[in-house]
Amino acid sequence: MSREQYQIPTGGSQQAFGGASGSRDFASESLGVMFYTCGDCAVRVPLEKGAPIRCQKCGARVLYKERTKRMVQFEAR
Amino acid sequence: MAPGKKASGRTDTSWNHEYDTLRRENLFRHPPTDRTAYPALQEAVNPHIESFNALFRNDGRPGLIDHALAEIGTKTFLDGDERAAPTGKNKLSVRYKSITLQRSQVPPSNKFAKKREIFPAECRERHVSYRGKLTATFEYQINGGEPVEFVRELGNMPIMIKSNKCHLENNPPALLVERKEESEELGGYFIVNGIEKIIRLLLVNRRNFPLAIIRPSFTNRGPAYTPYGIILRSVRPDETSQTNVLHYLSDGNVTFRFSWRKNEYLIPVMMILKALVETNDREIFEGLVGPPRSKGAENTFLTDRVELLLRTYKVYGLYTKTQTRAYLGEKFRVVLGVSETMSDYEVGTEFLRKIVLVHLGGMDVTEEQDSDKFKMLLFMCRKLYALCAGDCAVDNPDAVQNQEVLLGGFLYGQILKERLEELLAVSLRAALRDYFRRNPTVSFTSASFAKDFPIAIFRRTNENLGNSLEYFLSTGNLQSPTGLDLQQTSGFTVVAEKLNFLRFISHFRMIHRGSFFAQLKTTTVRKLLPESWGFLCPVHTPDGSPCGLLSHMAHKCKIMTDSVDASAVPLLAFELGVVDISSAATSESVVVVLDGRIIGWCTPAECKSIADTFRHMKVEGGHGIPLHLEIGYVPPSKGGSYPGLYMSSQPSRMIRPVKYLPLGKEDFVGPHEQPYMSIACTEPEVVPGDSTHVEFDPTNILSILANMTPFSDFNQSPRNMYQCQMGKQTMGTPASALRHRTDNKMYRIQTGQTPIVRAPLHNTYGFDNFPNGMNAIVAVISYTGYDMDDAMIINKSSHERGWGHGTIYKTKKISLKDDTRTRTAKSIGKMFGFAPNSAVRESTREFLDADGLPYVGRLVREGDLLCAWHTVSADYNGQLINRDGITHWERYKDSEDAFVEEVRIIGSETGNEPLQTVSIKLRIPRAPVIGDKFSSRHGQKGVCSQKWPAIDMPFSESGMQPDTIINPHAFPSRMTIGMFVESLAGKAGALHGLAQDSTPFKFDEENTAGDYFGHQLLKAGYNYHGNEPMYSGITGEEFAADIYIGCVYYQRLRHMVNDKYQVRTTGPVVPTTGQPIKGRKKGGGIRVGEMERDALLAHGTAFLLQDRLLNCSDYSKSWICRECGSFLSVQPTVSPFIGKRKAVNTVRCRNCAKRLDEIEDLDLMKLDGEIWEDGQGVQWIGGENTTTVVVPGALKFLDVELAAMGVKLKYKVDRKDAIRRGPLRHRLL
Repeated sequence: MSREQYQIPTGGSQQAFGGASGSRDFASESLGVMFYTCGDCAVRVPLEKGAPIRCQKCGARVLYKERTKRMVQFEAR
Repeated sequence: MAPGKKASGRTDTSWNHEYDTLRRENLFRHPPTDRTAYPALQEAVNPHIESFNALFRNDGRPGLIDHALAEIGTKTFLDGDERAAPTGKNKLSVRYKSITLQRSQVPPSNKFAKKREIFPAECRERHVSYRGKLTATFEYQINGGEPVEFVRELGNMPIMIKSNKCHLENNPPALLVERKEESEELGGYFIVNGIEKIIRLLLVNRRNFPLAIIRPSFTNRGPAYTPYGIILRSVRPDETSQTNVLHYLSDGNVTFRFSWRKNEYLIPVMMILKALVETNDREIFEGLVGPPRSKGAENTFLTDRVELLLRTYKVYGLYTKTQTRAYLGEKFRVVLGVSETMSDYEVGTEFLRKIVLVHLGGMDVTEEQDSDKFKMLLFMCRKLYALCAGDCAVDNPDAVQNQEVLLGGFLYGQILKERLEELLAVSLRAALRDYFRRNPTVSFTSASFAKDFPIAIFRRTNENLGNSLEYFLSTGNLQSPTGLDLQQTSGFTVVAEKLNFLRFISHFRMIHRGSFFAQLKTTTVRKLLPESWGFLCPVHTPDGSPCGLLSHMAHKCKIMTDSVDASAVPLLAFELGVVDISSAATSESVVVVLDGRIIGWCTPAECKSIADTFRHMKVEGGHGIPLHLEIGYVPPSKGGSYPGLYMSSQPSRMIRPVKYLPLGKEDFVGPHEQPYMSIACTEPEVVPGDSTHVEFDPTNILSILANMTPFSDFNQSPRNMYQCQMGKQTMGTPASALRHRTDNKMYRIQTGQTPIVRAPLHNTYGFDNFPNGMNAIVAVISYTGYDMDDAMIINKSSHERGWGHGTIYKTKKISLKDDTRTRTAKSIGKMFGFAPNSAVRESTREFLDADGLPYVGRLVREGDLLCAWHTVSADYNGQLINRDGITHWERYKDSEDAFVEEVRIIGSETGNEPLQTVSIKLRIPRAPVIGDKFSSRHGQKGVCSQKWPAIDMPFSESGMQPDTIINPHAFPSRMTIGMFVESLAGKAGALHGLAQDSTPFKFDEENTAGDYFGHQLLKAGYNYHGNEPMYSGITGEEFAADIYIGCVYYQRLRHMVNDKYQVRTTGPVVPTTGQPIKGRKKGGGIRVGEMERDALLAHGTAFLLQDRLLNCSDYSKSWICRECGSFLSVQPTVSPFIGKRKAVNTVRCRNCAKRLDEIEDLDLMKLDGEIWEDGQGVQWIGGENTTTVVVPGALKFLDVELAAMGVKLKYKVDRKDAIRRGPLRHRLL
């Protein structure tokens, strides 16, 4: 594959706190609430790390990860 | 009124071959809320669902399981010392009162779920089984006292989708879509661990019908056994079966054989006859031969043998029914495993109930039923004698005529029944024995027993029946102590692959003959027999090893799943002249049988008129003779099948609709009656006075798939078979609920179209919901040389516009749970995400989100991270914390680029576990590349050889260019004229905007297809023959010949080079031989075998041969001793001074060298050569004549192996050592 791959720009959410501290950050710092979509009622479900997997509204047991907000670009060939 | 609605407001279900674009669009946008628009599709799957529904009925009638419970009956146990006599002991009798299966539900421990139901879609997404709780109500009595009831849970039993225990039963399309299913969800399968499984339909012997068999292996049963036998597969009301066989012995005797718990037993048939009813020799004699002065009595062949049969039985000295039953009971007490409390007579009765002709009475057998069994057994003997005398032909057990279908639901019920019986009879007995061993003071009457029995004792039985059923479905293996009267123990289930919709639907129409027959050397079982007409499709069977064993039902063929009410038949038969008295001569009296019960006898002439009357009555209706009754009238013949009237009303029969001519109404015929009926294929073929029926449509004999081949009557027949295979391998549209599916691998075509040329059935079955290919403009021309040998050229511009573009969806399930089946997996040891306080590189942040899972939508390449996890353990207050700070990764291992399509976060059923399982769906785009396989619908497959630039493609007068080019040489030998016709019809259809009806058998010699479509082309201003003048795209010159160009529907097959290419120069090797390993996945090589070697030799390509067989394989340099010619005796010298760095040239032969300390009178001055040392520091001298040679590694391996067996190999390295061949010749001159 000799495609010129799109380089995903570094930064975005990381830049907010990373600043000039270098290319490393620590997992614990960024641990926060992630949002998922309920497979049943399509509600946005906030989940902390290690929280039981279920929709807070309907108790559904399958959640979907949301599509990334980061730019996803592929060569249009 | 929206299109597709009838005036009544109900969704229209009638279809023709038209496009119906608006109607379909409307159906798709607004799924109907009343009923499906494609009932034929549901009809195709219904045998599976209905057979499952029969287990637990909800219409008030007893289900198969209720029948089974009645048949299992009450089990009796005694307490106290096992070895003591039964007198004075307490008696415990237990029985099943009822079994219930609940719908799939969230366990009560889940307090969070608002909706308690678990729908099938959730099971697919969570990779779990769709199952419901199975509970049993037991009832027990102690010493015949007050019955006590209690309930036990028997685990979770997998439920068939859309059955009466499924939430999707009778759901209209709109509701199905809401529940994340296809709008046309068919059901009929199970979901086991997220995989869809179906129980295969199996062909078994026709029930309750005595089959005359000549099988040479029967002689192996013992001395005097002959190949003649009568097999009767007797089926109980709960659909379990017991096969009874009668053997003919060379002296005229008859024995009765059956198999019980995988053991075979033989009993003289006379003993069974005498045990069944109170009888005498005269009654048996007349029952077999006929009354005195009848024609049967003149048959001395028969009378001699019957006399012998009666005489030889005298040795047993058993005369009355009581005596005989007691005798049988004594012999079979242990075999049947009955309670000790039963007397010998009762055991004998039990034996007759459980084993002999169980279809005529298997529970609470009445005297009348015993007399039915007696009559049937006499009839079987009569047929056996007729078979030996040559008066009756052998019945072919491989013909559909003598077969029926074992339905999946029935088999499932049989397994459940057996498990239930096993639980009560074996497991509970062991648990009770164990209990009394531990508590010797307790008896059945103790209070502690009453407390322990329903809980403590049952807990020690293996009562989880749901698990064993799930095991059966997931592996297809039958673990059964009885064998269930089947000939195989594995291969009962298959995965219902949703590769494309045609393949999926074919799984449900598939009938297997049984894996036992797959190993058979003879091909007789695979033959296409005329009896199969209309029941099994003659076209739709795979070629290769399963050919003829794996067939598919014709699309109009149905399978009965319920008995029809034939209670009025016996009375009507008596009114029509059936009597009780019979003779052995078939010219005098023939039998009238209903479901294996002899109603009576009549003369052959009466028999014919009864059959005709019944047929008329059943089609007319209202006479108490159901339409689905099979009236198998076998006419008298000279040495043909045994005549009679064999009627059947029970399930598992195949039936098909035909038109009954006298009334012009629909009649259903079965495979047993069909060979003796005159059914015309088409209306003009009706022969007055002979034909009674006519086919509704000649295409009724074809399967669903075979019907999709356009103009299949124009093709050479093997090509239609190939198309049936390729249709199932096409990259199509597997489902429309793609978002909710998690199949391991799914293929999808991006630019699917509806075919221009199609049969009306295409719409009837709703195949436009699942497009399977593209309409392509095809030019038949030998143009560039790249279209040789079934290669095809694709127009590069078509390709760029998306022609044939496909996608593969792969789902990877990543679970952190141990896959152990133990229940102790409650503790959580791993969690998804980065380990807290561990350093996370910026580069990994690009791959993974903060939760350690990939970004949805991201491109992943080989080696990229898919997710992160770390270990956790509970701290003092139960918090899960990570202690090691190490993050582990899961990587994407495939070499192809993919995109993360979906990431599913899967919770537990109880809703209180943290994340343990994720399921990642990856999308791999697959644009057509050179080497991908395509095919038309006529078994004409080809490989894309070039994507030819559009500017260089040939073009027609109007400037049109083909999408693909195929070579004209693909046609003469294959004779797929149907493809030419499709091309014509497609062209005309495209020009006029028509959908073309491609039903086979519509054209004939007078009205040819070429003429019909030729005129359409003329009307559109094209050449009548479909040829057009075309111009070379390269030179612009007109071709010397006109080119045949038209529109053909093309399928893209799933075989793609990207999954197949295999390249290697160096790579992993087998350690023992040094040769490359096997397998594409592991980077192995392709074997250059003997035949390839021969070809290279024949071409004289010695260097190539050496390169393949040595240099690229197990090339190895090796030291060898020139003196002794051995690889094994050489060793490097060890210098005490240099250390580990060895010089290469210091290898010595230990065999040829001499040990210094063993040389007597050692004189160092006299020694010739260098002294060397081995690893132990021993000094040697000599053995210097070593050298390196190149040999195959395998040769050294062989040498070592042979040495281990004491065989020495000596290699002659020097030329002078070569053996001279032939005598010494003196050169002349």
